[in-house]
Amino acid sequence: MPGILGIYPFGLGRENWRLARFVYYGLLALQHRGQEIASIITFDKELHNVTKKGFVDEAFDEKTINSIPGFIGVGFVSPTEEQTPIEVSNPLGLILVGDGKPELEEDVRESWRAFAELLAEEIDRTKNALRAALNIIEKVNGGYSFIALTENQELIAGRDVHGVKPLEVGSLGFDLGAVASESSALDVLGMEHIACVKPGEVVKFDPYSIERGRVKGADKVEPKYCSFEYVYLARPDSIINDIPIYKVRESIGVMLAKEHPVKADIVIGIPETAIPFALGYSKSSGIPVSLGFVTTGRKVRTAIKPSIFERLVGVQLKLNPIKCVIDGKDIVLIDDSVVRGTTLRNTVWNLKRKGARRVHVRIGSPSLVSSCPYGIEIPPPDELIARALDEREIAEVIGADTFSFLSIESLCKAIGLPCNRLCLSCWRRRT
Amino acid sequence: MKVMGVGGGAREHALAEAIARSTHSPKIYWVSELRNPGIYRIVKQSGGEYALARTTDAIKVAELAEKWNVDMVVIGPEEPNFHGVPDEVEKRGIPCIGAKRSLSIIEMSKAEMRRLQWRFNIPGKLLFKTYRSYEEAIEDLEKHADTLTWLQNVALKPARQAGGKGVKVVEDLQVYLRSEKKQFKKRHIRWIEQYMKKYGDIEERILIEEKVWGPEYTLQCFVDGRTVVGMPLVQDNKHAYEYDIGPETGGMGSYTGRGYLLPFITKEEYDRSLEIVKAMVDAIQRITGERYHGFIAGQMMLTEIEGPTLIEMYSRLGDPEGVNVMAMLKTDIVDIFEAIIDERLSKIKIEFAEVATVVKAMAPKGYPDFRDLAKNHPVYVDEKAIEKAGCKLYWGSVHLKEDGSMVTGGSRMIEILAFGESPQQASIKIERCLSNRPVRLLDGWELFYRSDIGSEEMIRKRTEIAERVRRLYKYREERGILGKRVDWHPKIGKIDPVKNLLDELKVIRS
Ligand SMILES: Nc1ncnc2c1ncn2[C@@H]1O[C@H](COP(=O)(O)OP(=O)(O)O)[C@@H](O)[C@H]1O
Ligand SMILES: [Mg+2]
Repeated sequence: MPGILGIYPFGLGRENWRLARFVYYGLLALQHRGQEIASIITFDKELHNVTKKGFVDEAFDEKTINSIPGFIGVGFVSPTEEQTPIEVSNPLGLILVGDGKPELEEDVRESWRAFAELLAEEIDRTKNALRAALNIIEKVNGGYSFIALTENQELIAGRDVHGVKPLEVGSLGFDLGAVASESSALDVLGMEHIACVKPGEVVKFDPYSIERGRVKGADKVEPKYCSFEYVYLARPDSIINDIPIYKVRESIGVMLAKEHPVKADIVIGIPETAIPFALGYSKSSGIPVSLGFVTTGRKVRTAIKPSIFERLVGVQLKLNPIKCVIDGKDIVLIDDSVVRGTTLRNTVWNLKRKGARRVHVRIGSPSLVSSCPYGIEIPPPDELIARALDEREIAEVIGADTFSFLSIESLCKAIGLPCNRLCLSCWRRRT
Repeated sequence: MKVMGVGGGAREHALAEAIARSTHSPKIYWVSELRNPGIYRIVKQSGGEYALARTTDAIKVAELAEKWNVDMVVIGPEEPNFHGVPDEVEKRGIPCIGAKRSLSIIEMSKAEMRRLQWRFNIPGKLLFKTYRSYEEAIEDLEKHADTLTWLQNVALKPARQAGGKGVKVVEDLQVYLRSEKKQFKKRHIRWIEQYMKKYGDIEERILIEEKVWGPEYTLQCFVDGRTVVGMPLVQDNKHAYEYDIGPETGGMGSYTGRGYLLPFITKEEYDRSLEIVKAMVDAIQRITGERYHGFIAGQMMLTEIEGPTLIEMYSRLGDPEGVNVMAMLKTDIVDIFEAIIDERLSKIKIEFAEVATVVKAMAPKGYPDFRDLAKNHPVYVDEKAIEKAGCKLYWGSVHLKEDGSMVTGGSRMIEILAFGESPQQASIKIERCLSNRPVRLLDGWELFYRSDIGSEEMIRKRTEIAERVRRLYKYREERGILGKRVDWHPKIGKIDPVKNLLDELKVIRS
């Protein structure tokens, strides 16, 4: 689930751009996709890679940004310290950033290293970066998007044939072209969001052209768009694969209300992801929606923060219930997903202490029961509460009055695609 | 009957082809700077002659017309108009289809065009300012930095037509990117100043115009001094590369709907656009006292602030837009030319085929901004294969050498046209044709073209934007505030930039 970004200048005077600041703000918009590593990679005569730990705005201060030269820019944020940009120097200098996992090695990082090396070799062999990337994508299974920048000023962006991971294209005036994990990163840069890179498609930018190509037969392959993106990962202001995230999330709320109706006084969504769900639930059920919590501190993705301790601190800092809203009320509490259940249990506890009478928990996604085959950092299967317990049992454990997940069918309906065009691996039990 | 043409690009090839279709079976004569292989063939087949010369050399061109004793001359590109070729030809008693020098100012000077539009209060205007130097422009921009005036979001242009080059559009909406944008503006204004030095014929160098957004379209017309006859709308695509990314070009491809309208422009918008062009013709004729005989075009954009809006005018057909309409034209073009010369356009019927068209240009890598790289590559074209695929070939910037070999001239090399029930269908036809690589450079240098022109996705995108803009300008219209702008400056208070502009232009409003 890392965030990737590439920005490329065209035309006379293209070398005069300094794109580090553009990359920086683009990364801020992708911050939710990874908080452990932030990288700004640029080209000016040669490749530069500045990779740092932590949040984007901690990793790069004003001085650092100003000190990074370069008129071609690539950015990367990662949720794990292990995953950093891959540098290859032989037979061709290249830096690659990727989201997802090419099926080459057991380990995600090793897979990306192998992928980058294959790409460099293939470019060297074919002398045609577009062709080379297509050849590699055709051969390498998995779910992945990548951006590679070569020492020859070629920027190559592509997606696996199923298009599991997102990649969107944008432009600025007559001057810049860009690709990014999410369209909101393009919006933040004042760019025009144009289209998605298609599954199995490669887009190559060089100083004198943009070329596109698609793996033969890729238009006949069923896409397997990651459904987790729609439920949870992407920003609600993003459009991914032509589907607006916000619309999906609101529909999920509507579906939840239909599938799991309950009598209550108010609907509350856990900030921030679950707010659109709550709005949809309220719209469909007629139960008024209220703002239930105020958050403190950074938006930390609690499900994927490394240690349990950090998670607990995270949630307490993050969610403070607003007493007068919940006191004496029957509440429908909506969250986006349940991993271990820790966060949710604390939240329900907090609500009751502040006066909630009944708490009916509704989850805007199906039960999370398997790990992600494409590298999303979900805890090991034996730590997933939904794998061990059914809905009634979960309700007991977290102290809720009722508890329900969204069905997989409703999820597909909310996204607006038939289930076979989505990757649903994490919601399905594998042994 | 002898007809002579001027100019050597794909647009002129399409003109030559239309002339060759005439039932008058004219002998065709041509003059251009490079020997266009397509035009050359048409000329030879008609029994005419082809000469190489600087097409801006009015005397030279007029002498050729006299020597060949032609019945009329038709001008393709804009520069001959700017240099008074039509004036010189007509001085010798030979009728010319082409805007005279003083008339062509509406294209040559974007500033004059705008002033004319404001003076005559013709709809579809944009706020603008001109500057003679970098310092002047920068000083003014600095003065307005961080104020709520239209100067925040601007188009920076060379004040003189510079061959479809040098326009940059800068939106300054992200405070955090302000320093980058400022640097960019400064660099570009400096560039414009330097670039304009090579044209001695204009004093204002830099034009800054309010930035607008919306779908663009071109309305090309025949004019005879009394009547303006509109042709089917065409949309050209200026960005060099796929997805509408990259530098401004003369146009990488264009399409028409079936008939007069594009899929995203209404009949009412067409009519309003035509009224604008007519009013501009009236205005320029009134100011100069000359009669406009030839082609004129409005390069339009649908905008929130004004509805159908003039971005610039052409004193000629567009390229590639001219190729679309010439291929669709059913009426004998020589009849039309004669009607223009006799000023009786209103008496004849001009018809276009009810078919969609797509044109895609192919250019050597390096075009548009690094033309030296794009020059002098040997060209191979399998004309049979193109024809077999149901497409038509128009030669552009290619020079046919004496020994029969061909090399690139550095600009758009060829244009391929296909007809279809819809632009989408025509676009697919061209894609299929080009996938077999019938056009190549023999030294291995690469060509590029845009696969997305006329595609389903492109038209969907344009339609979406058109609908968004239409909602906005219609609403303004209902409220009676179409064209109204309000700025605010902390030291001055509310500002009416329209009033300021009119004051500056010394227009007395009734
Ligand atoms: N005021 C403006 N606002 C927004 N875009 C503009 C504006 N003026 C020009 N453009 C864009 O720049 C392009 C080129 O501008 P134009 O005035 O037609 O100059 P050129 O002579 O280079 O064709 C237009 O096709 C349009 O896309
Ligand atoms: Mg133009």
